[in-house]
Amino acid sequence: MTSAGLEQVWRRWAPDVLAALVRRYGDFDAAEDAVQEALLAAARQWPTDGLPDNPRGWLITVASRRLVDQWRSERARASREKLVARRTRAEQLLAPAADAANEDRRDDSLTLLLLCCHPALTRPSQVALTLRAVAGLSTGQIARAFLVPEATMAQRISRAKTRLRQVGARFSVPAAEQLPDRVAAAAHVLYLVFTEGHTSTTGAGLYDVLLADEAIRLTRQLHQHLPAAGEVSGLLALMLITDARRAARTRPDGSLVPLAEQDRSLWDQTRIREGIRLIERALPTGPVGPFQLQAAIAAIHAEAARAEDTDWAQIETLYRMLRDLAPSSVVTLNHAVAVAMVGGPTAGLDMLGPLLQDRQMRRHHRLHAVRGHLLEMDGRVEEAQAAYATAARLATSIPEQRYLNTKAAQRAPV
Amino acid sequence: MKYVILIHANPDPWGHPTSIYTAEGRELPPEQHEEMDRQFEALLAEISASGEFVTAEALADPASATLYGWSTEGHLATEGPYAEAKEQLAGFFVIDCDSRQRAEQIAAQFAQPGGVVELRPVMWPGGDDQ
Repeated sequence: MTSAGLEQVWRRWAPDVLAALVRRYGDFDAAEDAVQEALLAAARQWPTDGLPDNPRGWLITVASRRLVDQWRSERARASREKLVARRTRAEQLLAPAADAANEDRRDDSLTLLLLCCHPALTRPSQVALTLRAVAGLSTGQIARAFLVPEATMAQRISRAKTRLRQVGARFSVPAAEQLPDRVAAAAHVLYLVFTEGHTSTTGAGLYDVLLADEAIRLTRQLHQHLPAAGEVSGLLALMLITDARRAARTRPDGSLVPLAEQDRSLWDQTRIREGIRLIERALPTGPVGPFQLQAAIAAIHAEAARAEDTDWAQIETLYRMLRDLAPSSVVTLNHAVAVAMVGGPTAGLDMLGPLLQDRQMRRHHRLHAVRGHLLEMDGRVEEAQAAYATAARLATSIPEQRYLNTKAAQRAPV
Repeated sequence: MKYVILIHANPDPWGHPTSIYTAEGRELPPEQHEEMDRQFEALLAEISASGEFVTAEALADPASATLYGWSTEGHLATEGPYAEAKEQLAGFFVIDCDSRQRAEQIAAQFAQPGGVVELRPVMWPGGDDQ
C-alpha cells in the first residue's frame, strides 16, 4: 500500500483511535504516544501484510498494547503508579474495552474536540492540539501550514498535553452548564484554522493540507453532532460562502483580488447554495450570534450577481445588529463601509473619526484603507491617496501592501 | 502573527550578552546583572514552553560584515560595518504570538542597559479579500 493510501487510512481513523484510548485510559499524553507507535507499526506491517479487515480495531489493539507496555515498564516508579491510580476513576476501570464496538464513536470525536478546546489552554495551543488530535495531522504538516518550525509547533502541542494533565482534564462531555462555552471555544478554534487557511496564498505542497478544507471538514462534523447549535451552523455557512470565493480571490501571479473586483463566475455556487441554506435555516430558530450574522452578510454578498447589485441596506442592518451583539472596532469599520454605501461617504467617514483616536486601531492598516476608499468615493483624491499610503505602510501582508501602494499611486481621473 | 525583536546595541568590546559590554551596563552592580539574567532566562523559558519562541541569533561584530552593493556591472563587495551608527544590530529573536499586545509585552522585557529594542511585525504572503 502506498504512503498516500496509508496516510488516508490514518487520517480517517487516528482521531477515533485516540478518542477510544483516552476514554479508556484517561491519559491524553500517553495515549497520543501510543497511537503514534501504532501508526509506525502500521507503516511497517501494512505495506507487506496488506490492510487489515478492521484498521480501526487493529490500531486500537496495537496502541492499547503499547500503552499498557509503557505503563508496565514504568511500574517501578512508584510516583507514576500513584498518578495512574489517582487519575483512574472507579467507573473508568469498569469502562468497556477500548476496541469494543460502540455506538458513541461520533460522540467520541466531539468529546475529543471539546477536550482539545479546554479553557486551561491558550488559543494557539487549542488550535495546534485540535489539528493534531482531531484532524489527525502530523506536527510537521501543522507547522508548515502555520509557517513555523516543527520544533515550535511540537512545543505548543506538548505544552497543551502537559497542561491538560496538570489540570486533570477528563475525557468526558463537559457538564451542561459548561457546554455552551466549550462549543463556542471549539467554534472559535475552527474559525481561526479557517482564517489561517483562507487568507494564505501560498500553495500547499504535495503532502501539505489546506487548512480551510480541514476547518470545513471539522466544522461539518461539529454541526452533525449539534445540528441545533445556531452558531455552529452559522460558522459552517460563513466558511462555505467565504471559501466559495477561493478561485476568484487570487490572480495567476498570486496577487489578491478584492471582493468588489472578483470575477463572480468563478465563485463555487454549490458551496454558496449550501451555505445559504444553512444560514436560512439557522437564523429563525435560535438566539442569533456573531457567526450567524457574519454568515448572513457573506450570503448577501454572494447573492449579488455583480458588485453593484449588492444589497447594502440589508448589510448595514446586519452590521448594526452585529455591533449591538459583539461591539468591536473592526465591526464599526465594516459597518462604516455599509453606511457609506447606503447613505454616502460622509456618513461613513464620520464613523471613522473615533477609530482614528484609538491607539490599537490607528495602527491597523484596514482603518486607513477603508478611509482611503471612502475619501475616494467622496472625490477627495489627494486625501484618499495619503490614506492609502498610510495603510500601505502599516500593512503586514505582502499582497495587500502591493495593492494599497497601487491605490496610493493612482492618479486623479482627468 | 510573527514579530522580530531586534536588539540594537554597541557593546565595546563587541560581546554577548551585549548588556555587560555597554557603558551603561558596566555601571551596574553584578547583583543587578544577575537579577536581569534570571528574569531573562525565565522569559526565555516561558516563551519556549508556550511555543511562541521561533528562533534567535546573536550576531558577530559588525566589523566582520561584508557588504554587497549592486550595479549593472556586477556586485561590489566592501568590508563592513554597514553604517557608522552608534547602535548596531547585535542580535534578533523571532516570536509568534496571538496578538500585538502579547508581542509588546514580550518585547518590553528585552529592554536592557545601553541599547534599544525594536519590535517589528514580519510580513506574510497571504491576505484578506475584504
